[in-house]
This record gives sequence, structure tokens and C-alpha cells, in this order.
Amino acid sequence: MQFDGDELTIGLELSMEEIREFEQFIRPRLEYIETINIEEGSLLKSSALLSLLVSLKRTRPELNIPFLNQGISVSAAYGTVHWMCHD
Amino acid sequence: MTKQEQVKAIFIEEAGEIIEKLDVDILRFEENPGDFDLLNEIFRGVHTLKGNANAFGFTRLGEFVHHFEDVLDYYRTSKESIEPDQLELFVESVDIITEVMTCELDGLPDLPQGYDECLEKIIRLISSKKGETPAAAKPLEAPAALPDLAMEFGLDCVEQLEEKISEVILVTQAVQEEGMNLFRIHLTLDGDSYKRGFDHMLFLNLLAEKAKAIESFFDMSSVAPMDQFSCDENTLKSVTVIVLTPQSEEEIRENFEFLFDHEYSVTKIEAAAAVETTEPAAEETAVIEMRRGEDRRKEERREPRAPSDTSASSVTAPKSTIRIDTFKLDELFDSVGELVIAQNFIAQNEKIRSIEDESISRTIETLSKITKRIQDRVMSLRMVAIRDTFDKMKRVVRDTSKKTGKELHLNVMGEETEIDKTMIDSLSDPLIHIIRNAIDHGLEGSAAERIAAGKKVEGTITLRAYHKSGSIVISVSDDGRGINKEKVLQKAIERGVISGDENLTDSQIFGLIMQPGFSTADTISDLSGRGVGLDVVKTSIEKLRGKVEIESREGEGTTFSMVLPLTLAIIDGMLVQAAGEIYIIPTLSVVESFRPEREIVHALKEKGEFVSMRGQHIPVIRLSDVFDLETERIEPWEGILVCVETEAGRIAIMVDELVGRQQVVIKPLGKSLARLKEISGGAILGSGDIALILNVDALRPLIEAAHGGN
Repeated sequence: MQFDGDELTIGLELSMEEIREFEQFIRPRLEYIETINIEEGSLLKSSALLSLLVSLKRTRPELNIPFLNQGISVSAAYGTVHWMCHD
Repeated sequence: MTKQEQVKAIFIEEAGEIIEKLDVDILRFEENPGDFDLLNEIFRGVHTLKGNANAFGFTRLGEFVHHFEDVLDYYRTSKESIEPDQLELFVESVDIITEVMTCELDGLPDLPQGYDECLEKIIRLISSKKGETPAAAKPLEAPAALPDLAMEFGLDCVEQLEEKISEVILVTQAVQEEGMNLFRIHLTLDGDSYKRGFDHMLFLNLLAEKAKAIESFFDMSSVAPMDQFSCDENTLKSVTVIVLTPQSEEEIRENFEFLFDHEYSVTKIEAAAAVETTEPAAEETAVIEMRRGEDRRKEERREPRAPSDTSASSVTAPKSTIRIDTFKLDELFDSVGELVIAQNFIAQNEKIRSIEDESISRTIETLSKITKRIQDRVMSLRMVAIRDTFDKMKRVVRDTSKKTGKELHLNVMGEETEIDKTMIDSLSDPLIHIIRNAIDHGLEGSAAERIAAGKKVEGTITLRAYHKSGSIVISVSDDGRGINKEKVLQKAIERGVISGDENLTDSQIFGLIMQPGFSTADTISDLSGRGVGLDVVKTSIEKLRGKVEIESREGEGTTFSMVLPLTLAIIDGMLVQAAGEIYIIPTLSVVESFRPEREIVHALKEKGEFVSMRGQHIPVIRLSDVFDLETERIEPWEGILVCVETEAGRIAIMVDELVGRQQVVIKPLGKSLARLKEISGGAILGSGDIALILNVDALRPLIEAAHGGN
């Protein structure tokens, strides 16, 4: 995880424990973060992380999460994954 | 049929459904041109149609639809108001699409008349629009259009989930090879699944190991904002996975063996090539909406739709449907009929009833309840709302209005009324004819004539469906000039239909216009007035065991009512005994049954017997007289009277005894008994005996005939 000004960059391959830590980290800082970027080449491997990103976006709609806007993730390990955020 | 041909057949069928829906939606849009949600819906249909048409080489259809799509796209993104002549072009375009589709299916070399002209109009319209308003030609730059585009083509909208999944299934089926299985897996993991070590992605990973193709859809709609969120708790509503794999269903299920049963479901989807087919001409397929009743309503309560610009959009909610061969449905109905008979046999069997064992009684009672529930549900499969038929009639009204130049308003009531699927197919033609007749002849010939009669210039046609006395009535009313009885009588005498000496009731006079070759129209139009049609209407409805009734008031209007039986298969009946025979009276017709006091029974010379009830004199009908049965003649106060509602008013059927009430399966009668109008069918009772079902409406004319009318 890298913090650069108001931009946060995270990897998607977080374990459940790391996701919990990430949640704890971002809760008090949500107001100061403008963008959450994803590390290049990292692969979504948890629906819990996807849910957390959706929840963040739902809490602060102006938060920019380019990965979430894609609505799709394609990989050999998980196939094509679509998500619907409903907003 | 090859796999490719079968996939093509599926697409063709879908294209037919899309076109049918377009026809209805375009008229709705014409009524409410500000409903851009509906325009979006129309656009989506056209967009899908274009894809299907081009994919299967229907290039002429594809080309036309492509340009039509451009026009629709322009209006839906610019939200520019649509002029009446452009609306007319939309309607015309849907007509052309229907005709081109027929040409494509029949492999006709010629295009329908009007194709080139209509296509040119469309191209001209879109060119002029793009030329006049260049900004609108770039819809993506218009911020207001962005949410709509996202709604339609993204996956932001749960309503589109099913559509997208269906598309993926179809595409996957098209590439499915021998030995590959296609599964739809639905995951609804509990809130504590992460704590138990189960993440959705884990299962995707397991499935992907062996899959040839795997696509999943995460419904994130229930993920809460951070103040109510905890990443330890799974809040995903569901995940749907479509997987193409060489694995068997059993092997697929093994992946989920550590989950609770309610947390997953695996459904195998038949390969397109394995879809059972018979000769297309012999096969009739019914689309039955599987109602999810309460579940669906609950779902709607949980997920209120986002408010749209148009508060009362006409966009119809997507239906969850399953295609069932009607032959299979008929087999199911027959089997349920036999089940009802067997259940009645058990419930009424003296030997079984004599067993004094509470558990047996309770089991029989449970069996009875379950049988009734199955019967009701199976019957509901056969019932479909009349809405679609009424929707088609809107087009008939619109076209006839334009053709006759008469301004009119259509009222539609009771669209939710359900009717037997087998009947609904036979209703369109009679309805079309009656509606055209009502507009062409029922309504006054000109606006001046209506004004002179003290009416609004705009005529009103009312299309209504409702239940009445155990029947379904579909009526078409107009507020026109009404039927001129004198004119009808005069024509009937001229044509030798009647001699002129008859003492006819109003209903009988109006009924004359349904005779073959009868028309009172002074001028013949291409819509009606040739005297062919109304007699065909009558014959068609009678084939459905129904009848047509006409009510009319001169100067006020006319109502044609088609009275149809609720269903053709099973009825709830009251069993009665008369002269040693068991008869069945449809319970829906029964008002009450009683043993009359001697004082309220009267006999009038040449009029028969009557019973006085609450100020009404109700004719008494003895079944022994109707069926000429030899029996000891008893007085009405010694027997039981069953008061029933008939078309012509109430009658009291005199019986010896009330036997009970029972669901019975209507069995057709042989040719000789079928001639007896007083009998509508037969039924096998639980005891194995046969009972005749009374047609109560036919009982009254008999007594009137016997006693010389009213």
C-alpha cells in the first residue's frame, strides 16, 4: 500500500487479515483520500475487498476508484468477473 | 436439425417476440411521447434485433433496423420532443420491420411495399437532425445522457442482470462442444461465510481450474456504506456463475460440499443441440409467466426502483418466463384431473371412512389439501392475463381510427383478468372484428353528427374484461348511435331471416345482426359492413362454449359482450340427486339452497311453478321434467330448491337431495349426449359413478318454451 498525497495505491491480492487492516486504516482517512488506485498486474482474489471498495464509493461517491468503474475483471484464475454497484 | 439451425431457430423466435413487443411499445410511446424510459426500452429491443438479424444473414432486416436504431438513439439521447409525423414514421417502421421479417423467414426475394420509402424517410430524418443539431450527434458529450447509457450498457442496473446472464448463456451455448456441460451456479453465502473461510472468489478459482469458460456476476446492491459496513461480514446479495466445463454436475457440486444447502444452487443448462424439438408445424409453444407472487412483491419492496424523470413510465418490468410445450401442459392437466378423481375416491370410500384412526383421517385431510393446492397451481399455469391481447387491440383501434378519420379514445379495463390460454388464442380475431365494427358503424359517422347528438367529438371505445357468475366476460362498448331496432327488424324481414310475426325481445332483435349475411350498414367499407364477420364472431365464441350478448340503447351506444367459461378443464360442483340420478350444478352459479315453505310456492296456469323470495318470483324447474325422468311427483315444499344465477335471471332447480360439493374434472360427452343443451359435460365421481353437469343457462329457455315465454 502506498500513500502519495491524496492518492492511495493498493494491491488486490490481500489476505483477509490485510483487508481488515486496510479497512481500519482507511476509515479515519476517507475524507482525505481522493483516489484509490490498484497496483498494476494485481489480481482481485477476494469478494470482501471488492465489497469494501464498493462500500467506500457508496460512502463517498466523489472518491475516484478507477478499478471499480471498469465493472469487470478478467483472469485465467477466476474467469470473467462482473460486478454491479447499483448507483 | 443442426446445432447452428437450432440456435438460429431460437434467435428467430426471440426476434418474433421482440417485434411483437415493439408493436405494443411503439403505440404506448405514441400515447406518451415524453416517456423516454419507454423509448429506451424500444431502442434496446431494436438494438438486439439488429444484432440477431445480422448474425443470421437477414441483412435486409438488419439494414432497416440499423437506421431505425440511429433515429431512436438520437431521440433518446437528445430527449428532443418528437413531432406527430415522426411518431407516425416510428409506427410505420415497426410495420415494415414486421413485414421484412416475414420476407426474410419465407426467403422472399422482394421487399415489402413501402420498404424503400420508409427507409428513405428514416435516413432523411436522421441526416436532417444531425445536420441541424451537431451537438446532439455526440451524445456522449451530453452529461445528461451519461447515466442512461450507463444504465443500458453497463451492469449498474440489477434489472439488466438476468438479461446479461441470458446473453452469456446463449453465447456459451453457441460454442458448446460435445462433452462439455453448461452450469448456472447461484451463490448466496451467509453473512458469516468469511469467518468460516469461504470467499466467493475461492469457488470461482476452484471452478476455473477445469472450466473452458467461466463468467460470474456479483450483485453488490446490498453492500452498505461504511458506517454500517464490516469487511468481516459478507453482504453480497448473490453471485451467479455461468461455467462451461467437462465436469459432471456431481463433480461441480463437490466444490460446494462445505457450504450449507441454502447457500448454493447448481442448475445444468441443456445444450442448444439437446433442446428437445418436434416438427415445428405440429408444435405449439406457450410462454407461461411463472408468477413469483409474494416473493416478487417482497423483492420489489426491498429494492424500490430509482425515481426516473417520467413518474409513470410505461416500461414493462422484465418477465421471468419459461417455455413449456403446450402438449406437456395438457398431459399435466389430465394427470391432475385423474389425481382429483383418485383423491375423491379415497375421501369418499366407505371402507376407508369406516376406519376409526385419527392418523388416517388426518392423512386423508392433508392429501385433500395438497391435491387442491396442486390443482389450483396447475390450473393457474394455464391462465394468462388478457393484457397482451388487449395491447394488440390498441393497434387495431389506432389504425381503424385513422382509416375512418374518427377521433376516439380507448378505455381499457380489467387487463389483469386471467383467461385460459387455449381460449386466448382464439379471441383475437373476434375482438378485432367487434372493435372495427364498433368504430366503423357503432360510432357516429362524423363529428357534426356527434355534436348534434350532444356528445363530445371524440368517441369512446371501452374494452373490458371481468368475472361474472363464474364466467369471464370480455366486452367492447362504444358511445355511438346505438342499434336501430326498427332497421334491424326491417332488414331481417326483407332477407327472410324472420317472418315478422314473432314477438322478439330486444336481445333477440340485436342477436339478428349476428346472422350470416346480415348487415344494416348503408355503405360497405373495407373494415366491416359486408355481413361477414359478426356471424363468424358468434361461431368462434360458441366453439369456446361461450356466447355473444348485445346490449344497445339508441343514441347512447352498444356493448358486445363475449361470455366465456372460466376454464375448460375442472369445475367446482354441487352434487344433487333427482329421480335417483346424480347431477352436478356448477357451484359458482349457486346462490342458495333451501326447502321452501308451502306458502311461498305458487302455481300459475300455463306459467308453471314459482317460488317467492324477497319480492322476486323465481321459476321452479323440475329436473325430472327437463330430462323426462319417471319419478313420483312430489310438491316443491317436500323437496329442495337450489337457486342459481343464469344469464336470463334466477331459477330454482328442484331436487330430491343435496349430496355434497366436489371438484370435478369435466369429461366430454359422446355425440348423442352432446346435443343436449341442458348438459355441459360429464364427470366421474369418487365412487366411480358418472354424473352429468348441468348447463343452468339452458334450463330457462326450456321452461319458457314449455310455458310460452314470459
